[in-house]
Amino acid sequence: MNRQKNHLSHRVLVYAVIWVISYAGSLFVLKSFALPIEVGIVLTVITALAFVVFTYKYYRNIFFMDEVQIKVQMEAIVIAFLLGLFMLMILGLLDLVIVLNKEDWSYRHLVPCFAIFYFIGLFISKRKYNIEDEKHD
Amino acid sequence: MKNTIKVERAKKNWTQADLADKIGVSRQAVNSIETGKFVPSTVLALKMAKVFGTPVEIIFQLEKTD
Repeated sequence: MNRQKNHLSHRVLVYAVIWVISYAGSLFVLKSFALPIEVGIVLTVITALAFVVFTYKYYRNIFFMDEVQIKVQMEAIVIAFLLGLFMLMILGLLDLVIVLNKEDWSYRHLVPCFAIFYFIGLFISKRKYNIEDEKHD
Repeated sequence: MKNTIKVERAKKNWTQADLADKIGVSRQAVNSIETGKFVPSTVLALKMAKVFGTPVEIIFQLEKTD
C-alpha cells in the first residue's frame, strides 16, 4: 500500500510562493509609482488570481493527506480564522475611540497577520497531535 | 483510548514507517495514534487490525474515562 502524503506538497508551496511574490510585487509597484487606475486594477486582479489558484491547490492537496494531517490542517485554519476575527474585532472597536494610523493598520497590513495566525495554529495543532516527534520505535 | 500498536509492531519487528507504509498513512500519523494523541477512524483501525492479523478490539481498548 502506498504511503499517503503527510504534508503540503511542494507544488502547493510553489503556488503559495507565486502568490506571495505577486502580492509583494503589486504592493511595491503600487506604492512606489503613480500608475493609472487601470494598471492598479490589473495588478490587483493578477494577485487575486494567484491567490485563487493557491487556495484551489491547497484545497485539492488536502484530499491526499492522511486523517491526522487533515485534522492538523483544519485546526490550524480554525485557529487562524478565530485569531483573525479577534484581531478585526479589536481593531474595529479601537477604530471608534482612537485614530488608527492607516500606514500601520490598513487592509494590506492584515494579510500577513493571517499568514502568521495560520502558522501559529499549525504549531499548536502539530504539538497537540505529537506529529513532530522523530522517535521511530 | 489505549492501544497495543507498539506491542503488535514489536511482534512483527516493524518500525513505525513500516506500519505506515502498510496502512497508507504517514509515519507521523502512526506515531500520533500510537502515543494516543489521535484516535483513528474506523477504517484506519480496521486496516491496522488486518495487517497485524489481530481483532481490532485487541489493538484498541476503551478506558474508564472514555
